[in-house]
Amino acid sequence: MRESQVKVNGQIRMREVKDNELLLDLLRDRLEVKSVKAACWRGECGLCTVLLNGELVKSCLVLAVEASGGEVVTVEGTGEDGSSGGGGLTEIQRAFMEHGASQCGFCTPAFVLTTHELLRRNPSPTESELREAVSGLICRCGTYNQIREAVAAVKAHDRRSVSKKLVESTR
Amino acid sequence: MSFGSPYFTLPEFTYHHPNNLEEAMRLLETHGEEAKVMGGGVGLLAFMKERLMSPAHVIDIKGIRELKELKYTSGIGLSIGACVTLAEVAQSDAVKHHYTALHEAVSGAADPMIRGRATLVGNLCEAIPWVDSPPALIALGGAVRVNGPRGGREVDLGNCIRGPVDIDLQPDELVTHLVLSESPPSRRSTFQKFSAGSEFSVASVAASVLLGRRREVKLVYGGVSSTPLRSLEAEKVVAEGEVSEAMIQKAAQVASRSVECVSDVLASADYRRHLVQVLTTKALKRVFER
Repeated sequence: MRESQVKVNGQIRMREVKDNELLLDLLRDRLEVKSVKAACWRGECGLCTVLLNGELVKSCLVLAVEASGGEVVTVEGTGEDGSSGGGGLTEIQRAFMEHGASQCGFCTPAFVLTTHELLRRNPSPTESELREAVSGLICRCGTYNQIREAVAAVKAHDRRSVSKKLVESTR
Repeated sequence: MSFGSPYFTLPEFTYHHPNNLEEAMRLLETHGEEAKVMGGGVGLLAFMKERLMSPAHVIDIKGIRELKELKYTSGIGLSIGACVTLAEVAQSDAVKHHYTALHEAVSGAADPMIRGRATLVGNLCEAIPWVDSPPALIALGGAVRVNGPRGGREVDLGNCIRGPVDIDLQPDELVTHLVLSESPPSRRSTFQKFSAGSEFSVASVAASVLLGRRREVKLVYGGVSSTPLRSLEAEKVVAEGEVSEAMIQKAAQVASRSVECVSDVLASADYRRHLVQVLTTKALKRVFER
């Protein structure tokens, strides 16, 4: 057991952590972050994906102690203010709803978080870049086409808002 | 933890997080057989969940700064520290330009999240038959730098893997770096594999050809057997033949006959032999067209 401090979606959380505890279990079972799904436990389905210190990781392959002193962001923390609980839906979440990109919903947090991170780093991903970015995630309902359409819609929206801004700035 | 049964949980162990190499070596010397070194942890944690390994001590080396370096020195070669991830190797321009087979092997491995955690040295130390980077490393050639209580030593990359999940390394030793030999401009290399999406490779080949008056060739096959295998016979065909479609076809046939393939849940030996032929053709065409 060791005292561990992790910043989760902007909030500092303290817990006693066992050396053999997975980050997945710490987040889900003890910090009640239920968007982080436990499914395969072996790094294959990617639905436990979180941002750890700015990098996407599968939290079933990370020890809780490795996150000690670090920062975790889950889908709850992808809103405008970067914290959980506040605000409405993000662009990406709205696009997922509008395009039926979630059927049972189990994989949705991981896909939303992963595409959020993709678009943050690369606002206009190509089809193959999107495929590659989500290649570590499994949607067991098979809504991959709808997910692709949703992300494309966010991209299109971004492009429109960017070109609008350009028009405004040239006036 | 959630289900309280093996497979979902890790066996109990003490976690160590040394900040420098000396501390890591001391821990290894103290705990030796009882300890496992963790880099990215991708492989180790999976083995531990399956209870194939239950070390009493886990030594996480991610905090050791000197093991994070990837450095190319013209005239010497490429040095890759034990904590360098597959993603970092894939992003390196030096690797892309001078060690094409390695670049291709790591950039197509698993998925981006796994590549961001798993290390190249971890790939090699695990010696899992269907992992992509070891064949590329063996084809490119170089040494494994090992540190231990009896001092440092170097192991030739070609002799490092002794069997599945078995490399030339004592329990109190640590692989600190891989050093790939200097790559002359006349060398062409490539990595080709057959797999379904991010699944493990059913068969792969890493080819390296040093063009010149005396052609030097290495063809290393992964995923087909319990360890990466070279085909000396096919290498001879390529080294001694005139470059032509017919030579490539012949080398592919010879490889397919000479590489010993296994049957398992992924594919039959016959199918693997077919893949060896197809992949060898593809690899040699790429090497000679560039």
